[in-house]
Amino acid sequence: MARAPATETLPRALTILATAAAVFGPLSLIAYQSFLNAPFFDKNATAGLDAYRFVFADSDFWQAFKNSFLIAAGMTIIAVPLGGMLAFVMERTDLKGRGWIEPLLLVPSFVSPMVLSFGYVVAAGPVGFYTVWARELLGGAPWGIYTVLGMTVIAGLTHVPNVYVYASAALKNLGSDVEEAARVAGASPFRVAANVSLPLILPSLLFSGVLVFFLGFELFGLPLVLGDPEGILVLSTYLYKLTNKLGTPSYHLMAAVAVCIVGITFPLVLLQRVLLKGSRKYASIKGKAGRLRELPLGPWSWVAYGLIFAWIFTAVVVPVSGIALRSFVTNWGEGVNLSEVLTLDNFRQVWGEPTLVRAIWNTVLVGVVGGLLTVICYTAIGFATHRRNDGWSRFVDYLVLVPRAIPGLLVGLAFLWLFLFVKPLTPLRSTLFSVWIAYSVVWLAYGMRLISSSLLQVSPELEEAARSVGASRGRVSRDVTLPLIRYGLLGSWLLVFMIFEREYSTAVYLLAPGTEVIGAQLVSLWQGGAIDMVASLSLVNIVLVAVGLGIALRFGVRLRD
Amino acid sequence: MVRKFSAALVALAAASGVALAQVPAGYPADYAQVVAAAKKEGKVVVYSALDTKAAQPLIRDFNALYPDVKVEYNDMNSTEMYNRFIAEQASGQGGADVMWSSAMDLQVKLVDEGHAMPYASPESKAIPQWANYKSEAYGTTYEPAVIVYNKRLVTGDQIPTDHASLAKILAANPEKYKGKVTTYDIEKSGVGFMFVVQDYKDFPQMDGLVKAFGETSYKVYSSTGNMLEKTSSGEHLLGYNVLGSYALARAKKDPGLGVVMPKDYTLVLSRVIFIGKGAKQPNAAKLWVDYVLSKRGQKVIGDDCQLYSMRDDVEGENTAAALKKKYGGNLKPIPVTGEITQYLDPQKRLAFLAHWKQALHAK
Repeated sequence: MARAPATETLPRALTILATAAAVFGPLSLIAYQSFLNAPFFDKNATAGLDAYRFVFADSDFWQAFKNSFLIAAGMTIIAVPLGGMLAFVMERTDLKGRGWIEPLLLVPSFVSPMVLSFGYVVAAGPVGFYTVWARELLGGAPWGIYTVLGMTVIAGLTHVPNVYVYASAALKNLGSDVEEAARVAGASPFRVAANVSLPLILPSLLFSGVLVFFLGFELFGLPLVLGDPEGILVLSTYLYKLTNKLGTPSYHLMAAVAVCIVGITFPLVLLQRVLLKGSRKYASIKGKAGRLRELPLGPWSWVAYGLIFAWIFTAVVVPVSGIALRSFVTNWGEGVNLSEVLTLDNFRQVWGEPTLVRAIWNTVLVGVVGGLLTVICYTAIGFATHRRNDGWSRFVDYLVLVPRAIPGLLVGLAFLWLFLFVKPLTPLRSTLFSVWIAYSVVWLAYGMRLISSSLLQVSPELEEAARSVGASRGRVSRDVTLPLIRYGLLGSWLLVFMIFEREYSTAVYLLAPGTEVIGAQLVSLWQGGAIDMVASLSLVNIVLVAVGLGIALRFGVRLRD
Repeated sequence: MVRKFSAALVALAAASGVALAQVPAGYPADYAQVVAAAKKEGKVVVYSALDTKAAQPLIRDFNALYPDVKVEYNDMNSTEMYNRFIAEQASGQGGADVMWSSAMDLQVKLVDEGHAMPYASPESKAIPQWANYKSEAYGTTYEPAVIVYNKRLVTGDQIPTDHASLAKILAANPEKYKGKVTTYDIEKSGVGFMFVVQDYKDFPQMDGLVKAFGETSYKVYSSTGNMLEKTSSGEHLLGYNVLGSYALARAKKDPGLGVVMPKDYTLVLSRVIFIGKGAKQPNAAKLWVDYVLSKRGQKVIGDDCQLYSMRDDVEGENTAAALKKKYGGNLKPIPVTGEITQYLDPQKRLAFLAHWKQALHAK
């Protein structure tokens, strides 16, 4: 390959450098902290392995490790096939009503897991609305959500959208000729999905599978709300418990646990690399891609409807109706006549609270404007490694996966430290910038995968064609690659918007006047016990995102024509 | 009641409009300089473990008194508060002017480590001795630790009246209360931990009660709000060592929730306030602290924030005076002293937690 001019290498070098700084800044602080026996800014701090000794000698740690592994594995097994199937049905078949089904599919991913969990408590807990109804109608409610299995199923079902978004973005770019061939040969639609379409988007499925597994290790709200009262610990709630177990925050112990989590997830990254070695063979946008044709489902559509609605009911209707109902009543539970406790006070309280109103605005701002900026940054990183098989690309591939492995709560804390102790950054601490950068780093792996999945599907000959007529690298990116991946980018913006709306743990430590966001406020209100407001603010959050999603989808639909 | 309150506000605002630049009654004359300096500072940054909603009446009334001093009120849980505060202190950047938290031990620890600005409030005379720590930190509220129960499902002699009867009821009805009893997770909640430490001092049969908790496979939470929610819904039936201020406020709106002040003794927690060393708005911070300790501020704390005011000379339903009249000598305020930090020593704390676990699973 010819040596590239400086105008091409400099932006690339800067992009990689900035990414590395954003990732390793907080990470190295955490690693450093784990080898001390007091907060790093404490004058009495000395180096040592005490933190690791304490953690490894603690039986709670091993219990938490086991639970985390079970839940992460279980939810991946549930989420990946289901997400892939849903994507296939939505993207490749003639199923009616897809337009209004799609927003529903995405609902679980924009509700803060904390709130979703609370929704399940209110709806399906021991005295939840649905549990009481089931007991009256069926004589029993055979589910227990306060168990490892219950949490695994809920986590699996609520993470289906993560897989779905990746899979459907990949399917959008897939030519339909092979599917038609299978169909002509007599395969049923689900056979086509399982044997043709889904294998073709294997890179996306693998990426999303590994990410769901990551997320499993990072689950916080769900085990906090559902597992903690029962004493069921996972790694993140164990870490959280360490905040106070010794009376004062034990940063060194928390950091040691975080390092252990990274130690677990890093081999996964290596595995992922191996799996994707031969990614070229998955290139599926060819120079002469035919028009997409929808697969007729016929009687199979009922199976598809059944699958979709059973899932939507469990993952969306149950918790969201729980929260909604809770937001309109003063109290609930066994023996409460709901018609007697209806109220609108919970909403009046939210609107009467300037910090909460500001939190709503800030959340919109971080999601829409911040989300766009984030996608732009991610795309820049994506282009810095696209079609370059050198050491730097491999470095970035590992780099972007690292922050996702650290619990958001701790990344937020590390960023607070950075904003406090790195002088040039200090004026930014009380601005939304601090929240935005922390979010962007925490969700780096998540967003990058979507972008690189899209990039991978652009067949190299299109770019090579442009190169061969003399276009520069930048020109090729701008005029060939970028337009080809625009669906993927739009999808990423949507995805990033959604996850920024729901994010809660990362902003907890960054919460200050001016940086309030709904997620962090919910945690704060939950801690204070203002559950009326948690419920109503969650509903506001859901409505807000639903409106935003509606607009985005309209935009997307218009682009698709 | 709201109307009455706003009428009072209007009256007060009218009165204070005249006296604005003047010194509150009984304060030294040079206090006028503090007020003037605070006005120039323009705001006070408060970190508090009391949620904004509950603190709103206090902020409004403070603003009626000092319209030129904006209150930047940040509510967060007490551990976060501590985390942020020590990080900010170490970085020398400052953040909080005033720290106001229910984690009494953490607050005292911060004072002991020199993070507070010594300040002899002009209100100190009216504050009980137990609530004044070295003229640096002050107790501000009088919040009892109570037992809550679900009124629909727990009735008659099933309602505990004191610590001993609670232990007896649990022991006598293991089936009914299986998984239905809740209290603080003392590994996670500093407040819950502090209550239990005091319980061991005041209740000789505490081990027995802990054992009863263990036998009912009790459920634990890190905040009072969750315990109230789940006791009200019937998921749990009894909640132990719940913050009475929140419980009584909720019980007023929620007919399903009953509240018991244990007859033998009732622990009382007091939110501790102090001014951060190196506060950027030290004068505004003084105004806030003095206001919270003042008769006027205490009245709002009792009547409108539904916490319990600590001063003996404040009258009303939610006051120390009213509680003392009703329960007499059985109220045990946890004093704001250096002694409460003893379990912040990791070894001591782990030993205590180990004892607790052992008592839970005692045969």
